[in-house]
Amino acid sequence: MTELNIEGGLAGQILRVDLSSGTVSTEETTSYARRWIGGRAINSALLIDEVKPRTRWSDPENPLIFGAGALVGTAIGASRLSVDTISVYTNGKGSANVGGHLAAELKFAGFDHVVITGKTENPVYLWICDGRAEIRDAAHLWGMTTYETEDRLKAELGDEAVKVGCIGPAGENLVPGSCIMVDRAKAAAGSGVGCVMGDKKLKALAVRGHGSLNVARPKDFLKATDVALKKVKDSPAAKKMWQNTLAGVYAADPCGATWDFIILAKNGREECWEVEKRKRLLDPRNGFPKYQNKVLACFNCPIGCMPFSEITEGPFKGTSGEGFWVNTLMLASWLDIPEPEPIIKAWLLMNQLGLDGDFATAMMAWAFECFGRGLLTKAQTGGLDLTWGNGEALVSLLPKLATREGLGALLALGPIEAPKRLGQGSDYFCMHMKGQPTLEPFRAAKGWALGVATSPVAGRHLRGTVLLGSRFGPKDVNFEAHVYEGQARHVYWQGLAKEIEDLIGMCVYVGTWSGAYALEVSDYAALINAVMGLDFTEDELMLLGKRSRNLEKAFNTLHTDLARADDMPPRRYMEEPIPSGPYKGERAEEDKWNQMLDEFYDLHGWDKDTSLQTRSGLTALGMADVAEKLAAAGKLIER
Amino acid sequence: MEVRRAMRLERNPQLCHGCRTCELMCSFHHHRIMAPDKASIQVIRRNSDGAILWSVDSSCDLCLGENGPFCVKYCPYEALRSVTR
Repeated sequence: MTELNIEGGLAGQILRVDLSSGTVSTEETTSYARRWIGGRAINSALLIDEVKPRTRWSDPENPLIFGAGALVGTAIGASRLSVDTISVYTNGKGSANVGGHLAAELKFAGFDHVVITGKTENPVYLWICDGRAEIRDAAHLWGMTTYETEDRLKAELGDEAVKVGCIGPAGENLVPGSCIMVDRAKAAAGSGVGCVMGDKKLKALAVRGHGSLNVARPKDFLKATDVALKKVKDSPAAKKMWQNTLAGVYAADPCGATWDFIILAKNGREECWEVEKRKRLLDPRNGFPKYQNKVLACFNCPIGCMPFSEITEGPFKGTSGEGFWVNTLMLASWLDIPEPEPIIKAWLLMNQLGLDGDFATAMMAWAFECFGRGLLTKAQTGGLDLTWGNGEALVSLLPKLATREGLGALLALGPIEAPKRLGQGSDYFCMHMKGQPTLEPFRAAKGWALGVATSPVAGRHLRGTVLLGSRFGPKDVNFEAHVYEGQARHVYWQGLAKEIEDLIGMCVYVGTWSGAYALEVSDYAALINAVMGLDFTEDELMLLGKRSRNLEKAFNTLHTDLARADDMPPRRYMEEPIPSGPYKGERAEEDKWNQMLDEFYDLHGWDKDTSLQTRSGLTALGMADVAEKLAAAGKLIER
Repeated sequence: MEVRRAMRLERNPQLCHGCRTCELMCSFHHHRIMAPDKASIQVIRRNSDGAILWSVDSSCDLCLGENGPFCVKYCPYEALRSVTR
């Protein structure tokens, strides 16, 4: 690709903040954008260029980087913010991605990225407004929930339109599964990014912007927007989502494939949660929808999938807030709780405490299973009866997890250390990938599992998982979920599409993954070209996606000892077949898994034996400098 | 200006999701840039109770020269329409 002349879309500045010295500075985004475009790819490039190999997550040199997608603030569906840092689980690449209204506000305040290094002794927050930033005292905010923090900052700053991203007590107490909450309800949750923020004693980002973003080719932009909006309106899935939210979509189809394939039950032991329980949770009259009183959207999003709920009766009366998600269904099924009230309460509590739902769910489900097996006694649980289905126990345990009290202190050690402390072979029951708790399926849905297992950010489902051809992969390709053959190619494609989505900040639900499937890579090309004044083809975008993925791969290689063996599923899913349901008897078979991995590495041009990158592969991507870094570390295949 | 006197915008709060696409497209009409703060229509989400507050100021010209108001045309939720005063 020739040198790019970018004429729109970007705010123009990168904000740099050193908490140790208390200084702020800025630099232009352009030099990075010309090579990497924006979003996570620029965050990843900053990390690999500026962080010495083997820096640990808690070192002051570890940067916490916020990056808005290149099209956020312009293109419909683009709202996402990528948060990148060193993962608290692997000390390799950490990354989380969040919607809401913060990323757009950041760009209207003049910044595409914020790079935060150093640490302070006393809590601070960062006030960003119209091209300026101040590090301000946050002693009065420390200890507050995310809701309280947002309320207080908006009141202090005197503007309801201020956008806040903050940590809760979990991040302050360095619980690894801590997230950064945006607009109260959207979580940047993976890789323990909230724990890194807490370690820096940074409570919040408060942002307000009154600026503007250029659109390079206004006529083309209107044309591309017309096409995009029409595709959304023509998508039956999109209509279902904005009328009923995601929960409604699942309620309408309680025997659907997504339930059977990806919503595991009882700590992942079972792959199929009873249909009666699914119906109970989502029943229109007595289930979750009963409490939903409106639906909200992220910035410039045409789908709007987030419900606002209020419980109006019973022991949890008065509970209200935004948030109910597919992963909320997993909280219910993993702990076998079909009643909606404790689940809504628990989910909103996690948002307030700043707890990653996957981390909290997996660690609690582990405790529930250990309790059932007699590995954990009532004396150790503080008297809590951790029997499957006990919603009250769940609600009372969450604050303890965030503040590391009682049993919460054990769970907060995470999926490697907690089972070590408990012993008795309990590690077998703690579901994680590369040290990060995971709720993902590995037995029936083969492509989904491969996407999770090869994710550069350890066991999360947004980097190439696929299920059925109708909602994943290139639009004209149909495929099944439970066969091994051909999955690697779909996962490879989906992973690259996601990289493009994260360059531009497009939500996957508007795009190619799982939701409406309204927009495709061709639409991204039209929108990027119109907004930024460029001339990308679809193939060139896929190449950019490949570069972005290879940056993260290289970062992991330089910073960790992760290898091919770490891309295999958790032991339980290889040894225990699914005990019931339509896919009874399925498990992850080692030889077939290895074939999928071979094919996946091949597609990426990575070495099959070691999974390492090659000099020729990286050079062809225009990444000879990255190859040099790997060669210097003795971790490049010279061919 | 005849159009402006004859018509006004109406919002259906049941349909509005608070996405602020209307603000963006309004500013695009006025300035051919994206600048929500310069839009005639303003939308603020109150996260504490999920309320969506909105207003339209006197700079609204119902998108003269654009073949209909952009906020109406681009609202993904069909929450806005122009009605006779």
